[in-house]
Amino acid sequence: MRLGDSQDEGEFRTRLRDWLSGQIPAGVPQEWDSERLRAWSKSLYQAGYAGLSWPVEHGGRGLPAAYQAIYAEESALAGAPDHVNVIGLNMVGPTIIKYGTQAQLAEFLPGILSGETIFCQGFSEPDAGSDLASVRTRARAHPKGYQVDGEKVWSSYAHLADYCLLLVRTDPEAVKHHGLTCLLMDMRAPGVQVRPLRELSGDTDFNQVILTDVVVGADSVLGPVGQGWRVAMTTLAHERGTFGITLTSRLSAELDRLVQTVLTLGAGSDPLVRKEIAELHVQLQGLRFTGYRALAELQRTGEPGAESSILKLGWSLANQRLTALALRVLGPDAAFDGPQAFWSGYWQQQHLRSRTNSIEGGTSEILRGIVAERVLGLPRTR
Amino acid sequence: MDFTLNQDQRELKAAARHYLSQSYPLTLIAELSDGVGADGQAWPELLRQGWLDPELELLELALLAEEGGRALHPVPWWVTVALALPVYQAAGLPLPGPATLADGSTGCQARQQATGWSLTGQVPSVSQAGSVTEIVLAASTPAGTALFAVEPDGAGVSLTERAGVDPLRITAGLRLVGAPARLLLDAPATGPVLAAIERRWQVLLACEAVGVADRVLELAVDYAKTRTQFGRPIGSFQAVAHQLADSYAAVELARSLAYRAACVLADEPDQAAEAIACAVHAGIRAAVSGCEVAMQVTGGLGVTWEYPLHRWYRRALSLQARAAAGPDPLEVIAGELFTPAAADRIEGALAPA
Repeated sequence: MRLGDSQDEGEFRTRLRDWLSGQIPAGVPQEWDSERLRAWSKSLYQAGYAGLSWPVEHGGRGLPAAYQAIYAEESALAGAPDHVNVIGLNMVGPTIIKYGTQAQLAEFLPGILSGETIFCQGFSEPDAGSDLASVRTRARAHPKGYQVDGEKVWSSYAHLADYCLLLVRTDPEAVKHHGLTCLLMDMRAPGVQVRPLRELSGDTDFNQVILTDVVVGADSVLGPVGQGWRVAMTTLAHERGTFGITLTSRLSAELDRLVQTVLTLGAGSDPLVRKEIAELHVQLQGLRFTGYRALAELQRTGEPGAESSILKLGWSLANQRLTALALRVLGPDAAFDGPQAFWSGYWQQQHLRSRTNSIEGGTSEILRGIVAERVLGLPRTR
Repeated sequence: MDFTLNQDQRELKAAARHYLSQSYPLTLIAELSDGVGADGQAWPELLRQGWLDPELELLELALLAEEGGRALHPVPWWVTVALALPVYQAAGLPLPGPATLADGSTGCQARQQATGWSLTGQVPSVSQAGSVTEIVLAASTPAGTALFAVEPDGAGVSLTERAGVDPLRITAGLRLVGAPARLLLDAPATGPVLAAIERRWQVLLACEAVGVADRVLELAVDYAKTRTQFGRPIGSFQAVAHQLADSYAAVELARSLAYRAACVLADEPDQAAEAIACAVHAGIRAAVSGCEVAMQVTGGLGVTWEYPLHRWYRRALSLQARAAAGPDPLEVIAGELFTPAAADRIEGALAPA
């Protein structure tokens, strides 16, 4: 058991930290529009920080998952945004490496790494949010491959994406998990329409994707036809890998910002504020070191440990609690927003956005159900 | 980063669990708990099992403490290893057998006579004083607080057992009247050793709490799988399953923090305050609330004397009470977060608009 970095990891961290500090101005988090995001992703690629854990033969650096975790921690500390192609790099790319044909590997992997080919993911649907297996988007046989009709929602980065990893039903007779197929769909194909969804925070992180008679070539099928569930689960398993560490690193940086806010507003001696901040700190450190344990299991066995299933659940609740405290500390000024507000309304935005946390990427109810059934071995809940 | 148990550590933990489950079935725990409160015969076997091997490092002791909490290990191993052992080690003396430690620095005076030291005074509560070979006592001398050993059945020593919430951790009031005592550490050496012991027992307490939380979760999960109501196992009701999932999360977070505190304390003892505070707070919380969730899930049965759950709940409450003798974890953490240095931690932070 080793808490700190190995010598190589430590050197990697130091170089990365130096590089990040030269790239990102210190201070309160900034707005990143899509052009800045693309430029940021390009510079990450050029500096060798894209595809850290991808195999060398597929253009990655072949490093253990710990390096991806170090990247997550340092980029959070530096206030860096997500890679614009976070879905391509962390989820779709590894899935293509596992299931892709030679042609698909050659076509997609270089662009995913360089950030030129941005991916989104089309799994959720209006009537199949948490119940992913009830996907209804239909793909019918077409002379060129498939003709797709349906609607996807909550698709991050769809407004920027070049391609979508799309889960469709190819066999309407088959029940639930069967008869599903994954497609690599060109987002610029005729019939693809992207509509940003405006959330209660006013942000537009997610999109609705409407598919009307979209023709997708037979060579765009990823993995076996009818085995889309298995392919999609591979993608989601990759999301679990170092994702927990990414989330908790961001949360630690956020708690630092809250401490800063508390000190700025002179609330640092309020006993209730001190207690609440300390409790959040315990929760966060617990998530952080549980993330380390899951990472060690991932490196030892190839699968993230069972502990990883609680990271997203705990993160969402802690983030909601943290931003709620920020507004309480702001007091009556929490009513303001925009340029006149404290930190230009940063905490107001974060708090409104945080309500999404316990819904996106698996609702808290679904995650507790997963723990109950798959970790604790309880009978299936109804 | 490689924050996981190595092969040896996993094997140690598994062997400890096996030994404890073989030696202490619930029937025996209940018998001891309702009777004498400790297994007085177990010490030689525990030595053979290697639970006091000098090469055990803090993390290994942490794993044994965790397993001890799971099993409600009815032997004064915890007080020995967490509290008394470091005194003997610092003195370069062999451990005489199970031993406990108490702070008599305000209530006990040591006097040096021609024949050696003698102690006079009282301590209201000494953990497991009746089950140990020696009681280590911090007592005042003209030169300051020093550490002594007395025998519980020695001349001038009287013990009065005090009923406690945890019958497997009986405490006793200690009264000394000119009791002959061995000097273990003199005044200059005592302060740093006691400070180190305070950090050490907090870590080992957190680990024991994790073991308690882990075992009661297992108990509740087993029950929820088999107990049927309305024609199906109660574990299939979300209201039940989700509470247990939350307990699982609390146990894992607490375990991560306990292991981390053991690592930090072993490597950088002077930097360990925050890590220890996190471990204690999360461990106690997981144990107490874990028992309470388990009681809710096991329903009417769970609140009977016959069902063993209350024995872990009593342990959790006694750990909570013991933790309260140390620094307030949340205030330790807040103190570290709200230092002047924290104000500069986010470089260039914006002033309010």
